[in-house]
Amino acid sequence: MQWLTIYKKECLESARNYRWVWVPLVFILFCIMDPLTTYYLPQILESTGGLPDGATFNIPTPPAPNVFMMSISQINTLGVLVIALITMGTIAGERKSGVAELILVKPVSYSAYVTAKWAAHVSLVLLSVFVGLIASWYYVQLLFGDVSFIHVMSSVAFYVLYIIFVISISLFMNTWTKIPGLVLFLTISVILVLNLITSIFSHLLEWSPTSIVSHLPALLRSGEVGQNLWMAGLITILSIIFLLFGAIQTLKRREIV
Amino acid sequence: MIHLKNLTKMFDKEYAVKNITFDLPPGKCTALLGPNGAGKTTTLKIIAGLMHPTSGQVDLSNGMRGDIRQYIGYLPQHPQFHNWMTGKEFLQYVARLSHIPYPESKKRAERLLERVGIADAKNRKISSYSGGMKQRLGIAQAMIHKPSVLLLDEPVSALDPIGRRDVLNLMEELKQEATLLYSTHILSDAEEASDEILLMHKGSIVESGSLQDVKERHQLDKITLRFEGDMQSYKEKVEAFPFVTHTDIQKKKLHVYVQNVPEARDVLLDLVNKEQWPLLFFEVGQTTLEDLFMKVVKEHAMADHL
Repeated sequence: MQWLTIYKKECLESARNYRWVWVPLVFILFCIMDPLTTYYLPQILESTGGLPDGATFNIPTPPAPNVFMMSISQINTLGVLVIALITMGTIAGERKSGVAELILVKPVSYSAYVTAKWAAHVSLVLLSVFVGLIASWYYVQLLFGDVSFIHVMSSVAFYVLYIIFVISISLFMNTWTKIPGLVLFLTISVILVLNLITSIFSHLLEWSPTSIVSHLPALLRSGEVGQNLWMAGLITILSIIFLLFGAIQTLKRREIV
Repeated sequence: MIHLKNLTKMFDKEYAVKNITFDLPPGKCTALLGPNGAGKTTTLKIIAGLMHPTSGQVDLSNGMRGDIRQYIGYLPQHPQFHNWMTGKEFLQYVARLSHIPYPESKKRAERLLERVGIADAKNRKISSYSGGMKQRLGIAQAMIHKPSVLLLDEPVSALDPIGRRDVLNLMEELKQEATLLYSTHILSDAEEASDEILLMHKGSIVESGSLQDVKERHQLDKITLRFEGDMQSYKEKVEAFPFVTHTDIQKKKLHVYVQNVPEARDVLLDLVNKEQWPLLFFEVGQTTLEDLFMKVVKEHAMADHL
């Protein structure tokens, strides 16, 4: 009951801030930008002056799954930044302003406080990522040719695990400092470092949460979930549980004021 | 009730609270007095569980056990709210967090808003509230789950005279329902509203007991005089009498602490008459809580220098 109270309050706060409107819109924008610019590239070149006379430049049309992957990589950069931005103050900000002093002096369970906030942000972000990718799929389908909806859905399902992982890192960082800006910095740094390590040791770290994206093109084309992807998914879920547990334990040991 | 045992809190090798032990007397209103930086807020925050003591502990008794937070209501010195909520929404939210069922939370929020006098603003965003209204809302949220102990950090210091009167009256009512512990540096409020006082200085409790006891223990008779012109010369003459323990000059008034009031009064008035001193003010009285406060703080400040 307490959990639901906090969850509802978080959702209401997002509604009052119009987050339920602008976050999905931003994700739709990120997701359809690449399919549209890729398709209209010849026209865009034309209208900005075109190529010099006599020069011929043949732009091959990329295959449909590759265009869909462009949308995912947009979310991976800009989208992750937006996610870190909207989650950076959820606990840190409340502690900084002093509201947490009033909330956590009531008999509130720390696990309910952390997980309800986590769930509220997961709801908002997943909705946004989902509508964004559906929009991308629609344009890819329209402009580049067929991609199986089932394949798209299973890719989205795995990709979303990575997104939840990002939210969990931010929640975890929220319990370590009272400064929202620092939470943003730490979250982005951790993700950058993870990406770097995963790409350097890619043959060793095929199960890392950040490697999920690299498995997706194969899944989009064939629809088959490879063993490495299954393992990466499992490791991601375990990391999420570990991060949430860590966040709850950290907050318990912290002084609220 | 609540017992503090050898509570110590350090911030970077500085004592904020130094080895304090006391039992909160049940059903009473206790004032935590002391100058700024005495450790009042830290003590309240430790009891509320918002800060962890460096050593020592807070114990419960009388059927209270487990999570202390279910028994206490806490008002911070500068309460902050979710400013996008309305007053009523916020009260309902904290009520629900205190495990009060939805219909009951609605009723209690309405009733409390009425009681603290901000019912008119219940559907307005908290961001539009004035300081006094926030303070009242803060008191309401502390009371929402009918706690048996109320911890109020400077509940009246930030209020205008009308708000102060309202809150002091409210505290008078609350005494019937809960044990109160509140901090203040305004001594007249403490004198008016509390049964017991705890005087803190530099992290330690330097004086405690019922208001009456403490006053009697420290009360001295004093005669206050004021003359035209420089007071210093009069001071020296008055000091010569055997019944005078000591004298001091504050705000152009000469305070003469004496052992035998009738004798002192007669002798002093005689002297004034005989020497034709230009008397402006004469009062026979006793030291107040403020004098005690100043005295204790000064004594300890002296001890620190030695």
